[in-house]
Amino acid sequence: MPDDRPNTDFVHGVPPIAVSSTTTMANRTGSWKYIRPIYQDKIAPCNAACPVGIDIEGVMNLLREGHLAEAQDLILRENPLPGVTGRLCERPCEGACNRVQFDEAVSIHAVERMLGDLETTPMAAPKPARAEQVAIVGSGPAGLACAWHLARLGYAVDLFESEAEAGGRLRREVPEYRLPRAVLNREINRIRALGVNLRTHTRVGVDVKWQELSAYDAVFLAGAPRRIKAIDLPGASEVHGVHTAHEFLRGGPGQPVDLLGRRVTVLGGGDAAVDAARCAVRHGGRVTIVHDGPHDSLRGHADAVKEAIREGVRFVFDAAPLAARTSDDPPDDWEGRLDPADVIQGDGYGVRARLVGVEFTRSAPGSTGAAGMTAPAGERFFQPADVLIDARPVPADLDALPSEIARVGGVLAVDAFGRTSRESWFAGGDAAGEGGTVAEALGSGKRAAIGIDRHLRARAGEEVPELDAKALRYGGTGNMSMTRWRGDDPVFRTNELNEVVTFEMLNMAHFARVEAHEDRHLDPDHRGFGWAETNLGLSTEEGLAEAARCFNCGVCNMCELCMIFCPDVAIKRQAQGFSLSYKYCKGCGVCVEECPRGAMSMTREGL
Amino acid sequence: MSQTVIKNQVPDQELMSSGHVACPGCGGSLAMRMVLKELGPKTVIALPACCWTIVAGPYPQSALGVPVYHTAFETAAATASGIRAALDMQGDTDTTVMAWAGDGGTFDIGLQALSGAAERNENILYVCYDNEAYMNTGVQRSSSTPWGAWTTTTPAGTPKSHPKKDILSIMAAHRLPYAATSTIAHPLDLLAKVKRAKETYGTRFLHILAPCPPGWKTPDEQTIDLARQAVNTRVFPLLEIEDGTRWRFTIDHPHEPVADYVRRQGRFRHLTEEQIAHIQVEVDERWKMLEGRVRGQG
Amino acid sequence: MKKVIMGNHAVSWGVRLARAEVIAAYPITPQTQIVEELAEMCAAGSLKARFIKVESEHSAMAACIGAAAAGARAFTATSAQGLALMHEMLHWAAGGRLPVVMADVNRAMAPGWTVWTDQNDSLSQRDTGWIQLYCESNQEVLDTTIQAFKLAEAVDLPVMIVLDAFFLSHTYEPVDIPDAADVDAFLPPRKARYKLDTKEPHSFGALAPPSVYMEMRLRQQEAMAEALKAARAIDEEWGQRFGRRYGLLERYRAEDAELLLVTSGTVTSTARYVVDQLRAKGEKVGLVKARMFRPFPTEDWRAALAGVPQVAVLDRNISPGHSGIFAEEIRAALYDLPENQRPAIHGYIVGLGGRDVRPETIIDCIDRTRAAAGARKGTEREDVWVGVKS
Repeated sequence: MPDDRPNTDFVHGVPPIAVSSTTTMANRTGSWKYIRPIYQDKIAPCNAACPVGIDIEGVMNLLREGHLAEAQDLILRENPLPGVTGRLCERPCEGACNRVQFDEAVSIHAVERMLGDLETTPMAAPKPARAEQVAIVGSGPAGLACAWHLARLGYAVDLFESEAEAGGRLRREVPEYRLPRAVLNREINRIRALGVNLRTHTRVGVDVKWQELSAYDAVFLAGAPRRIKAIDLPGASEVHGVHTAHEFLRGGPGQPVDLLGRRVTVLGGGDAAVDAARCAVRHGGRVTIVHDGPHDSLRGHADAVKEAIREGVRFVFDAAPLAARTSDDPPDDWEGRLDPADVIQGDGYGVRARLVGVEFTRSAPGSTGAAGMTAPAGERFFQPADVLIDARPVPADLDALPSEIARVGGVLAVDAFGRTSRESWFAGGDAAGEGGTVAEALGSGKRAAIGIDRHLRARAGEEVPELDAKALRYGGTGNMSMTRWRGDDPVFRTNELNEVVTFEMLNMAHFARVEAHEDRHLDPDHRGFGWAETNLGLSTEEGLAEAARCFNCGVCNMCELCMIFCPDVAIKRQAQGFSLSYKYCKGCGVCVEECPRGAMSMTREGL
Repeated sequence: MSQTVIKNQVPDQELMSSGHVACPGCGGSLAMRMVLKELGPKTVIALPACCWTIVAGPYPQSALGVPVYHTAFETAAATASGIRAALDMQGDTDTTVMAWAGDGGTFDIGLQALSGAAERNENILYVCYDNEAYMNTGVQRSSSTPWGAWTTTTPAGTPKSHPKKDILSIMAAHRLPYAATSTIAHPLDLLAKVKRAKETYGTRFLHILAPCPPGWKTPDEQTIDLARQAVNTRVFPLLEIEDGTRWRFTIDHPHEPVADYVRRQGRFRHLTEEQIAHIQVEVDERWKMLEGRVRGQG
Repeated sequence: MKKVIMGNHAVSWGVRLARAEVIAAYPITPQTQIVEELAEMCAAGSLKARFIKVESEHSAMAACIGAAAAGARAFTATSAQGLALMHEMLHWAAGGRLPVVMADVNRAMAPGWTVWTDQNDSLSQRDTGWIQLYCESNQEVLDTTIQAFKLAEAVDLPVMIVLDAFFLSHTYEPVDIPDAADVDAFLPPRKARYKLDTKEPHSFGALAPPSVYMEMRLRQQEAMAEALKAARAIDEEWGQRFGRRYGLLERYRAEDAELLLVTSGTVTSTARYVVDQLRAKGEKVGLVKARMFRPFPTEDWRAALAGVPQVAVLDRNISPGHSGIFAEEIRAALYDLPENQRPAIHGYIVGLGGRDVRPETIIDCIDRTRAAAGARKGTEREDVWVGVKS
């Protein structure tokens, strides 16, 4: 910069020529502006869409720098089961991803799975131990999440599970090839390693009385058993070859079911149907799923449906079951011979008939299978089958839960923090109708943990953060953030505005189109009848490359474009973030315009 | 990597201070900032009448951390030639002597001195920051003003009726060792070209597009995006020319429609659909001509 | 060493001995030999300088300004149209306080085209702030060229050495060329107070608001006053070192003159001849030669002309709409003399466009002057054109 020493050759107050002796810093050009830029982090749409409430953008940002361990830690601060959700979640984050409007969504689930499977020592530091004890009923994802978060908040947790192992429907209903037991066990052990006291084989209400739970400072009701009921189909009771999906899936690989060559019909259109079908394939069966609705109303995970098709599962749509037909009551044109050997003896229920097939009615015009032939609605058809698996939805059974707790719509009534009508009793997951997906259940457990922590600390006379539900929620409408509640967010944020970044706030000029990495799958020909995991995900390198596709919506990642493009040199890098000199900033707005990720805003405030 | 991260390739050093009096969003100020980042402190500037005469601040200020000689409008290249000779005679052959002129001082009144210096292959770096009119004096047309543009001397009833002078071809005809175009929206391209120019001996010519919010009648914050779009629509291709004969494009140019670029600027607001179509035709024909040169057939 | 050289080459020798470092010049008749000779000297290595063969005179001065601003000793030469083209930059060199030295070969201004001598080209630049020195002989040209660098650098003002087209530029005269070592002792290398220096970066010539501009011009004017003193000292030093003195003006046989001629340039040498002729006949006629025109040595002119009854100023120039320029400036200089000291100034326009000023022309001027003695001033024209067809 020009020498600021006074020029000694001054006569009449001037040098002989117009020679500079100072910089232009004396001109406070900041006084020109009527609008000014601010660094203002915002919420990435994936964060707001995630039912668990993970700081997905933050994870991607860490991975961009190659910090695998910190990225895993950031997930674990919100979600104890990343290996599970990376595999099973329906991925609303990807649907909300702003990158969809540029090329393709970031493959967030694959990155989460990659991190979940990483063998690293979790760094998540629990808070100091507290005196209070909390009981959690049900070790499905809602209960597991609540246990994890409470343990990290310092509470002693007793986690009650009626089955032999923890995991709830994750263990009972999701087959090995979709969720390897090793993964589930590893993630559950991580929770137990915090000191959570898992009590399996313990049915609350039977092995432990409800009244005993009053000894705890708080209770979280996390699950509800499925109602085991008779199959709702005429002619299907007491028939050999008819199963519920629930009982069929429990068995898993160990189930001694021999379906080799058997024709299997599965009723339903959700994950239970798809999983039952794929299990049946592995047991050797030829499987058809019949769904009472059109193709796009399938509720099963899109990937699982795709894989089911690759594995040879047939789909029939728009057909409602009318009745099961058995060896006692075959259809008129039934040509199969009835062999006395087919009649099952001595099973304790008397001689049971054998399934021969199911009658359906078309609820909408559909294909007959023959080229160009369409069958009209209302038409009946008979589908031969040796095995019928009923995978249609089964409501939760709340009868076993204490009746004095208020219900609404068949589930326990809860507020945003999971509080029920009973003092110090909270509910989530299936018990509160918040268990439709794994992610919802995890999010529910987290909210209850926050609710319990707030409740118990207030009761102990401690100061509690003044954060209402909206303030805790990403973007005001997403799920709650545990790091916000705890106040230990490791991510450096500037002036965060709790609003979601839209695509229009981004600047695509700074991005190049890059195709998303696709999960690798086992070749269907090589699956045989094996139970190996079929979705192989991405390698660590691919996961990192995928994370690099993240726009990092709304959060400054120090790309420095604002600084590079400032015509007034008003922006300087600091140890964290930037300093913006309003003494010189003219409010041109170039920085905000060029920011690729909408992490800056123009405002008239403060002028 | 999906976002091109450029920060590690932009030198940290700042040789321009805040408090300069350029308009908000001025392309020319950013151009100077970027060029000086690459050239460094061993640079002397010959600065003729142009926006930067004022931007640099009045006596006793200077916004620049290098020596600057303010000189008459048409003399950038001649003054620079003299500075160069003096430094050479003093044994300093390292310091870059840069002439920093606007389009007026390059395409019009300064063309003679520039041509003279280029013909003599003076060892100077000549940078023209082009905002496409005499902006400093209030937006009068220059021979760099694009066809159809409004200026105060080509008002909307009679917009500029001649095409933008092809300064690059003129300079190439001098067979100077290095000439190039770039914009402030392409920092790495610009810095690389400045670096290459710095390391080349002889007359080097850099033509930098520097949009001007008041002159182009565009919002302040759009300056970078306009320069970007000028390239993406091929209105202002990014080129390098060696020895006046070997032409090459320095990026893969998209082919966005010129209408998008033109319609967002107030200085073109009066154009009809036919006129915009005409501009597209001209842009495409010039592009074909450049392609021919790049292929070596021009 | 004595050589018979043309006036233009005397300039070249002066530039070489002064060790100019940067030369930027454009050819124009009748200056061309100056630069050709300099080009030869550079090529031969006898002058170590960068010669920028610019594409116009305007660029020549711009390049000299750039070079001087960067601390070099800079030189150019031109004439008439070229000088006029440089006009803008003459202001720049002077206002920029740069010690550029230039030789102007006095040539009449077109149109019609002409290559012959008169003084309108240099005199119409009188307000640009350049020091102007008018030479009578090739020796004076060489000596003045070298002195010009010293003077320019002493006061940081540009200096113009003026020599007549063809009568000096192309006329061969014997010239004593000083030794380089002696000149070096007289003229050390330039030490610029302000210069473009990356180690101490400044900007030069930025916007100067009304609050400071006038003071900078005042300083420039004060430097001009310094230049009068410096020029005398330099002339004296040159006299001591090399035995030749010229003064800011020169009085020739003027002691008891009743009529003084005032001349400049080569007309002076013809006038000397005429004075000698008339003195030989007992006429009390003398001569004052104008050498320094800017800064205008008012006190010297008052001292030279006060009390002389008649002064005949021969102007080889005309300020259209007014009078000959030397006459005008001398009249102004003498105006404040007491009435009884103030001579009658008679201005004569002679030799425009190279018309020969012969002894007859000068005698004609003297005769007209005498004839006008006693006539009431105020009714006569201030400029009398001599030697023109009626």
